[in-house]
Amino acid sequence: MKLNKIKVLSSNEIQTIHAATMELMSTVGVKMDAKDVQELFEKHGATVVPDTNFVKIPEFLAKEQLKKVPNTFKLHGPDGSYSFEVNTESTKFASLPCPVSIYDETKKKGIRKSTLADTIKQIRIVNSLDHISACQMDLWPHDVPFMELHCHTLRAWARHSYKPYGMGCYGKIASQDMMNICSIIVGGEEELIKRPRLIGFLSPTSPLQLPQIMTNGLAIFAKYKQPTIIAPEALAGSSAPVTLAGLLTQINAEILGGIILAQLYNSGAPVFYGSVSHVTDMKSGNSALGSIETGLITAGVAQMAKFYNIPSRALGGATDSKVFDLQNGIERLQTLMLAAQAGINYITCAGTYEATLIEALELLVIDDELVGMVQRALEGVEVNEDTIGLDIIKKVATSTEKGTTFLGEKHTLKHMRKELYFPTLLDRNRRATWRKKGSKDIMIRAREKVDEILETQKGPGLSSEVENKLAEYIKKVSKRTIDFYIQAEGISASSVRIDNIEIKKEDLK
Amino acid sequence: MTLEENIKSKILDWDEDGLIKICKSAIEKNEASATDILKLIGNVMEYVGELYEKEEYFVPELIVASNTVKAAIDQVLDPAIKEMGVEKETKGKVVLGTVEGDVHSIGKDLVGSFLFANGYEVFNLGVEVSAAKFIEKAEEVGAKVIGLSSLLTMSMDFQRKVITELEQKGLRNKYIIIIGGAPTSEEWAGEIGADGWADDALEAVNLLNKLLS
Repeated sequence: MKLNKIKVLSSNEIQTIHAATMELMSTVGVKMDAKDVQELFEKHGATVVPDTNFVKIPEFLAKEQLKKVPNTFKLHGPDGSYSFEVNTESTKFASLPCPVSIYDETKKKGIRKSTLADTIKQIRIVNSLDHISACQMDLWPHDVPFMELHCHTLRAWARHSYKPYGMGCYGKIASQDMMNICSIIVGGEEELIKRPRLIGFLSPTSPLQLPQIMTNGLAIFAKYKQPTIIAPEALAGSSAPVTLAGLLTQINAEILGGIILAQLYNSGAPVFYGSVSHVTDMKSGNSALGSIETGLITAGVAQMAKFYNIPSRALGGATDSKVFDLQNGIERLQTLMLAAQAGINYITCAGTYEATLIEALELLVIDDELVGMVQRALEGVEVNEDTIGLDIIKKVATSTEKGTTFLGEKHTLKHMRKELYFPTLLDRNRRATWRKKGSKDIMIRAREKVDEILETQKGPGLSSEVENKLAEYIKKVSKRTIDFYIQAEGISASSVRIDNIEIKKEDLK
Repeated sequence: MTLEENIKSKILDWDEDGLIKICKSAIEKNEASATDILKLIGNVMEYVGELYEKEEYFVPELIVASNTVKAAIDQVLDPAIKEMGVEKETKGKVVLGTVEGDVHSIGKDLVGSFLFANGYEVFNLGVEVSAAKFIEKAEEVGAKVIGLSSLLTMSMDFQRKVITELEQKGLRNKYIIIIGGAPTSEEWAGEIGADGWADDALEAVNLLNKLLS
């Protein structure tokens, strides 16, 4: 049988959390500042508290809208030749977060700010890995103007990758740009809607807020039926109750609020029930992404998503370590394995460390190896007459011929590739052979693999016609003023946050 | 399909009976002599070795290919070469076994398969082989190399015993002695007066190629 799923909630406890969530949503609601969002909810029977912008969502509305959420959808690469299905049973792995720095051993601090060249390298490596299915705009390109970066990264993706891509659905302007650019790349809006290419991610702000800039973007992604990940990053003990049940209830309201809104925008819009929630370190007040409780929260998320019959997304392979030490390894595998064992359908964050703030391309290829191991673990043990192999045990054990071992049997040849995972980066040599090969540790071997990929990898490329259209489009985007952007999105504050980065108005110039 | 392609397809399909049939018919029809066929098989085994190095093949493929080839050599080619009255061309004859007091065979068998796949003629004496038996067989077949395996710290000393007995009989210089096994080491090889040590099967092949060149 396949590996048993780990559970942290009984069916009664799932019902209890669901009931508490419904009460929270109908009596307190979720804060959504956008006026058009409030009107849309009101039209469907919700009530809005005018002073606070909390939208109270009655249970009947939640129930009605949750019925419309698809439990399966497909994602495609830019040229359409590569695709995979997301559903509530499968397990796919991806990179995703948005590191702002990259490992660089030549620098004194060991890291430096990432550039578009790094973003491109990351896209090319993910494209070449066996077990990582997609990437997002993972590395923040500091050398590209903020207003245009989505254009440059999407163009790089289409040039270099066969796998799907994604970005934060940060505002309607940028999101609409993404749809327009993607339509140019794939040959039209119809094709984009029919075969989705992009994953948008929306991060509710805990507790219980869906920021206007994000709902603006969600509207566009939902309209074009590109899947969105609704994933709060609630921290037990600071932005959510310290009790994991309390956190699961609160983020359930935040996630369902986003999912219901997506359905109100466009019935049947594909979404992920997501989370990057973890805990607060009570000693320092810092977030602790690599904590063991992250795995427990993730397991709860998997169960709640399953209860609503929606594909789930959570993080695995995350660590708080700043270096490539045992902590890095312990936390990566622990969060990855727990997410996979919990049955999360889309597990993200390959390639990062220091709470996903830093990327190391070496870690990305190591994570590919880890994912291969984890996928093997999920397969469990297959039992049938052929796999028990009674005949072969009898034959080898009683053979009088010299040199008879299972290694020389066709039964081994037939089954070994399925039964055993073949690591490529983990060393199993005897010491003398390992020394002869240069006594390399896994980071050195990973670096060699990175170099090899970057030397040989080739993407689909773009026709000169598409290149010209994209160049024209980017020219238009670069002419926009900051005020136009701020006005269009209805951002009143002088600064906004995108995941790990605070963008101030003056930064946008 | 040429004879070599035909032989290759049978070896890569692990088809013992098919390979034997081809070898027999080629000799009967005078398409090729047994020594020619042996060379063709050598080419295919070299190809198998390349696939192994590229990690497309793994240990079981190498062993099953060796076993497939061995059946044809034992049953068809060796008798035919004997009939021709010529000396079989190999890289060298290796007498191989696990020393007294030790019944571990897999590591030593792997070394045997790898050496065989690389053109050596291997006489695998099995496990718990006494010093006298090693020497007797080596003398009998005219071996160049004696390989001594030990997987137990308790049986390691029997590797030394074989070398001591060879010295006593004045035969030590006739043979290249290589040793291996988990508890053994380069230092141990030096201590007991062996000519070389390898820590896995692939290294054993490299070691012998070097020692014999």
